Amino acid sequence: MATHPKEKIDEMLDARRIQPASPDLAQRIILKAQMIPQIQVFSLARWIKQTFAELHLPNPAYVLAGTLMMGFVVGLNVPADTVTDNADAVQALSFVDPDEGLL
Amino acid sequence: MPVAWPEKDDEELLALIQHGSQEAFSVLVQRHTERFYRLAYRYLQSKETAEDVVQDAFVKLWEDPGKWQAERNNKFTTWFYRVVVNLCLDWQKKKKPLELGDQELSIADDRDTPDSAMIHAQEQKILEKEIAALPERQRTALNLCFDEGLSNHEAAEVMGLKLKALQSLVMRAKTTLKERLKNYL
Repeated sequence: MATHPKEKIDEMLDARRIQPASPDLAQRIILKAQMIPQIQVFSLARWIKQTFAELHLPNPAYVLAGTLMMGFVVGLNVPADTVTDNADAVQALSFVDPDEGLL
Repeated sequence: MPVAWPEKDDEELLALIQHGSQEAFSVLVQRHTERFYRLAYRYLQSKETAEDVVQDAFVKLWEDPGKWQAERNNKFTTWFYRVVVNLCLDWQKKKKPLELGDQELSIADDRDTPDSAMIHAQEQKILEKEIAALPERQRTALNLCFDEGLSNHEAAEVMGLKLKALQSLVMRAKTTLKERLKNYL
């Protein structure tokens, strides 16, 4: 099967010449970076992710840890003065026939 | 046990850079400087400027390595191509349009005879001028597709395009170039 000859424009594009970079370019970049401090942005999400990554925990551990944390959050958000009151139960019983009693 | 740096892939190195590892940064820079320089040079046609752009890109990465996020970007090189392309385009917007001087004539292949070297250099000069005059997306598609280190799929990914769309951009760019360079083809 005859192949199409490569078009001249493709040849020209392939042959675009590039002036070589300075041999020490990589070294210059490394030296420049050494003089610059990294930006340390604290992100809770990133910290949690890194901690888990370092611990190499299996997936169920993430679920367990997530559930525990949700439990803490819910527990801590319940007002401290919440008390159980029998008043609601008594009111509900008033609608029930006397011979039915509690189920 | 000593760390086998060359065996680490880019993503592993980036995770270490995010923890402040200068060794990992050095390995990454040495591995990729040449390839990103080539790309920058294609845009800027100036050794000094291309080197500055590549240096700037890597230093920014070192300063804030959190910009690269593994879960969003599958491959470091794809993301970094985009960074370098954007820096080149920013640079070109700030500067005057590309002016090719005598400097480009000196980079002709030494194997050519003086006459053919002169013709090649002249052709290349005109080609670069016409490429610089192409619309931004066509120019980017052309520069990425003719980079030997990048497949067409990766080039499409860098530009956030489907493969067909990229091929269409390249085709349009080549048609425009053929039209403008018909005296030389």
